[in-house]
Order: sequence, then structure tokens, then C-alpha cells
Amino acid sequence: MSFDVLLQVLIGGVLLGGLYALVAFGLSLIYGVVRILNFAHGTLLAVSGVLASLAFSAWGMQPLLIAALLAPLMFVCAYGYYHLLLRPLTKRNHFESTVGTVLVTVGTLMMLSDITAKAAGATQRNIPLRLPAIEFGEIVISTTQLLILAGIVLLTVVMHLLLKRTWFGRAVRAVTQDATGAQICGVQSTRIKALTFAFGSATVAIAAVLYVLSFPVDPYMGFGLTVKAFTIIVVGGIGNLPGALAAGVFLGVAEGLTGLYWKPEWAPAISVVAMLLILVVFPKRVGARI
Amino acid sequence: MTKSSFQRIAGAALAALGVALMATPASAKIGSCIDPIVFGTTLSETGPFSTLAGRWRKMTEVFVEEVNKTGGVMVKSCGKKLPLKFVIYDDQSVPATAVALYEKMATVDNVDFFVGPDWSSLGGPVPPVADKHKIPMVMANVATPSVYDRGLRYIWGTPFPVVPRWSERYFDMISKVIPKPQSIYFVTHDNPVMKGITATWSKKAEAQGLKVLGNETFSSELKDFTSLIAKVRAAKADIVYISSYDNASVPLVQQMRQLKVRAMDVHHTMLTGSLARQVGADIEGMTGELSWYPGIKGAYSDLVETVMKRSDVTMFDYIWTLGRLTSYLTMIQGIEKAGVVDREKVKEALFKATVKSPAGDVTFDERGFADTGAFTVQMQNGKVVVVWPPEVATGKVVWPSPTWQQPQ
Repeated sequence: MSFDVLLQVLIGGVLLGGLYALVAFGLSLIYGVVRILNFAHGTLLAVSGVLASLAFSAWGMQPLLIAALLAPLMFVCAYGYYHLLLRPLTKRNHFESTVGTVLVTVGTLMMLSDITAKAAGATQRNIPLRLPAIEFGEIVISTTQLLILAGIVLLTVVMHLLLKRTWFGRAVRAVTQDATGAQICGVQSTRIKALTFAFGSATVAIAAVLYVLSFPVDPYMGFGLTVKAFTIIVVGGIGNLPGALAAGVFLGVAEGLTGLYWKPEWAPAISVVAMLLILVVFPKRVGARI
Repeated sequence: MTKSSFQRIAGAALAALGVALMATPASAKIGSCIDPIVFGTTLSETGPFSTLAGRWRKMTEVFVEEVNKTGGVMVKSCGKKLPLKFVIYDDQSVPATAVALYEKMATVDNVDFFVGPDWSSLGGPVPPVADKHKIPMVMANVATPSVYDRGLRYIWGTPFPVVPRWSERYFDMISKVIPKPQSIYFVTHDNPVMKGITATWSKKAEAQGLKVLGNETFSSELKDFTSLIAKVRAAKADIVYISSYDNASVPLVQQMRQLKVRAMDVHHTMLTGSLARQVGADIEGMTGELSWYPGIKGAYSDLVETVMKRSDVTMFDYIWTLGRLTSYLTMIQGIEKAGVVDREKVKEALFKATVKSPAGDVTFDERGFADTGAFTVQMQNGKVVVVWPPEVATGKVVWPSPTWQQPQ
């Protein structure tokens, strides 16, 4: 296989991995702070992607505007969802709380998928925005892909600064390390948890808009994305955004190379293999923190 | 038990018996010249296959209306036409539900004949019901040959097209176009039917002198096709042959355009309205197969065109429609050939029979498997144009496809 082909696959892998990382950011943050394994996280991306596609095709809205509208909408919905369905479970014992959150989020996943499929159809949708492509010999890079990549980098930097340089970020880290201690120091840990859940969900809405610019979404694809996001968290570390970005890119490139040197039908399965390998070789890697 | 409660239960039981006796089954007597002929069928109105069959209930009702407008189905032994009637249930795209419904139609509704079901997943478990009750069944879109290899005596199928004839006309076309393509690359959806198509047509491509440069298989979950497309681009094949269901290949087609794949032609085995809506202008110039298209004249074509028009069904959106309607037409022709509403006689009439359809004659082998083919179409200026064979073409093929020669 020529170097051009390899380079093309690597570029595609980096882009795909960056998108995976964006999905994982929110999930990682939510698990790190709220301690909830949100199985509906990937489905939020799918639903947001369908909404973004509808907004683009029906009203011709620009992707940037769609993201600007979807993110606060998702923030509000997730904030309400947390208070209504998840927060009451925290008052129960550990076992009931854990099983309860799994049941609630899995139930949400199924309901969101079915409702979206009923309302908007089960077929795949995307935002077919075609910008001129740049060709270097046999390598083709679309301007859309470059813009998506820029968006991923920008979002990663913004989120990193938000967590490291703002009061909200410090509060989030404090609750992650010791919720009771943070509470004593004046941090309203319950409110921070709700805000983190909402913030993590809002990042998915932005990730969804970037995702549908390159790949199609359908209402039932969410669980696969959630599994990939879990893999990235395992590989990159919980709440570790640069780690998640690196892990996402690793996964994206691994999928690309699997398709190139082995068989494309095995590419989606590589994330599970990677997760198992990491767990076996580095069993303590999951403990990383914000 | 008190006397009053006994009286209540006995009264309810008698009332239920009365209702049961008064309720008339869909068909009273086999061979009757008074009652309508009743076809029993299921449609996948809900579940995963519902997008393929969404308007078929209305279509079936209109079909019955149109047939009955002319008096119905000619039954020689009665010396007259008998009206047609349907019993229709939703199988929910679930094999177990379909089996239960066909049992119900055989034992409760007492239908005369079965038409349907569709899809190979239902075509596996349902036919034994027909065989058990000795009710002839003309299935619609059940294309897997192994379904017909089980020694069942009461089943036939009218899928359009069957795998061995899927791209027959396309390969005939590419043997005659100028410049002649020299090589082909297969991209296959990981699915038994699609793999069967690739297995059949890659052999025929080689036999026709085309160099097969590769065959890549992809799963429905794959969204990033960069590595697959990079291989296809590097191979520089004259033809890229995509053997896939329409939905699974949406990102493939879009990314092929983004990554500027160049070829004389990109062929898709399922060029549908759904694919066109999802990929938009990216579909321009692609070739594919279509079982039939309004305007191609053949037996019953006027009836089929009227039914489709009245029920707002288009071939491009519901590409399996001809298979469904041909199952109805086949059963009607079987009854007309038998000359009597008798299951055994109809079974004999359909054995290795040749029946008429808008797309031409359909001949069944001893297993009940048909020999249906498809026409080659090309997307030209956003419209579907039948380009091969020339005698029924609605336009000329644009070769090589400009949109794939010089991608924008």
C-alpha cells in the first residue's frame, strides 16, 4: 500500500478520533463528577444530529447557528432531566442508586431512539455541506474536514481552560475529589453535579453538529457511540480531556488502519478489543482524574 | 357455585357461541361460485421493514377495487368472474408474528389462498404453515434461493430481481459501451443477499473479460469509509460496483464523492428514492437496477400503473412493489389457469408455470423459484432513466459518467 493511501487513512482517522473524543468529553466529565454511567449519552448525539440535520434541510440554518441553539437547549433539558429522574436516585443506597441510574439511562436511550424514529424517521441523516477540497497528489482533504478539526481543537482548548481556569472548573474538580469537603468549603455540590450533567450533555450537542457534517446519524446508532466513548475514557482516563483527545485519535486511527490492512467490516469492533487490551495490560489506568 | 352465577356464566357462554356461529369466516366453501375468492396476506406495516412497505395496504385495497371493477377473477368452472377479497394483517416485521397470523388465516379466517409474505427472514418460517394446511402461497419479495430448497410443495415466490439475474442487463450493457471498461472493483455490504450478488457477478465479470481488482466488505455500523475508499482510489478501477442495501451505503457514496473517486461508472445494486433523498446530488450519474418502471409496457402494466398511481406508490421509493403486485397477479393467473377455486388444482396449475407480469414473463422452476430480472437505470439530471436494454429504454446511457470522470 502506497504512502499516499496510508496518509489519507491517517488524516481520516485523526478526524474521526477527534469526533469520538468530543463525545467522550461530556461522558467523562459526567462520570467523573456525578458518578453516573449515562448510557443515553451517545443517543443524545444521535438525536441532536437528527435535529441539526432537520434544521439544516428545513430552514437552511448554518451549522454554527444550529450548534449555538442546540447546546443551550440540550443544557436546559439535561438539567431538568437530572433533577427529575436522576437526583432522586442519589438518596437511595449505593446498590439501588447504581442499578437505578443504569435502568433510567438505558430506558431513556430506548425512548429517545424510538420517539426520534417515529417523529423524524429511522433513516440516516446528515448535513451535506460541500466545501471545496484540497488535493495534494493523491491525497484529498475536504475543507469541511479541516473546519471540523479546527472546531474539535477549539472546543478541547475551551473546555480545558474552563475546567482549569474558572470558578466553575475549580468547583467541578473539588466535587470530583471530595464532594463532602467541597460542600463544607461552600461549594453547592448538588448544584455543581446538575450543572456538570447539563454541561456534559450540551457538549454532545456541539459534537453532534460537527459529527453530522462528516458522517450520517440515525436514531438507533447512539449505543455504539456510547461504547466508543467508554473505551476512550478507559484508555484516556476519567475526566482527562487531553487524554481523551489522544485516546480518541488513537481509536480513530486504529479503526482506519484496521480497515486498510485488514478488513473494513472489523473496524467498528476494534474499540472493544482496544478497551479489553488496556484493561488487561494497564488495569489501574482507569483511575486518572481531572 | 350459586345458581345465579351459573346462569350468568352459562348465558355468557351461549352468547359467545351465538356470536361465533353468526360470524362468517372470510371464505365459506372452497370451490364455491357464489362467495368471493379470498387472499390472505401480511404486510410489514410496523417494525424495521415498514419503510419498505409503508403504503402497501392502500395499494392492495386499490388493487382489489381495480380487479373487481372488471368483475373479478375469471373462474371457468363457474362460467363467470368471482370478486376478489383480501384479509390483511400487520406482521410487524417479526417472523413469529407472521407465522401466527398465517395460522390464523388458515384456521379462523379460512382464506382460500396466501399471497406474501415479503423478506427472507419471514420467508423462512412462514411457508411450512402453507404446506401444513395445503394452501398455495405465492410469496412476494423472498429472494433467498435456500427458502425454496426445502421440498415444500405449496410455495412460489416472485422477488424482483433474483440474485442470478440481478445485474444481467447491466453486464450486457457494459459489454457494448464505448470506451469499454477493463476493470471492476466490488464493494459489498456484509449481508447474505448482497454477498450472494457479489459472488455471482464477480464470477460473471471475470468471465466477461473484466479484471476484478478487489472486493471490500463493510458492515452496516461502519460510518468512516476512508480506508476502504483509499483502496478503491488506489486501484483505479473503471467500474466501482456497490452491492449494498440503500441505507447502509449512504456514507459510502457521500465519502466517495468527498474523496473524489474517479471511475467510468459507479454502479449500485439498490438505487432507490431513499438513497437519492439521503445523498442528494451525489447520486447523479450512478447506474443501478430497477425491476420495472411505469412506461415500460407489458402484461398488466396498465393495471399496475393505475394501482400505483391511485395509491401514491412509486417504483423508485418502493422498489419491491413489483414483487408484491406480481404475487397477486400470479395467484390470479393460477386460479384462471386452474379454472376452479380449488387449492390442489391451483397448485397443479402453478407448478413450473409461466405467468405474465408488467416486466415480462415469469417462469417458475420446480421449487417455485422465479427467474425475474431487472432493467438498468441511470440517474440523469436528478431523474431515473431506464438505459438498458435499448428496446425499452427511456433514454440513452451517458458513458462514461461525467460526474465520476471529473468529480466536483
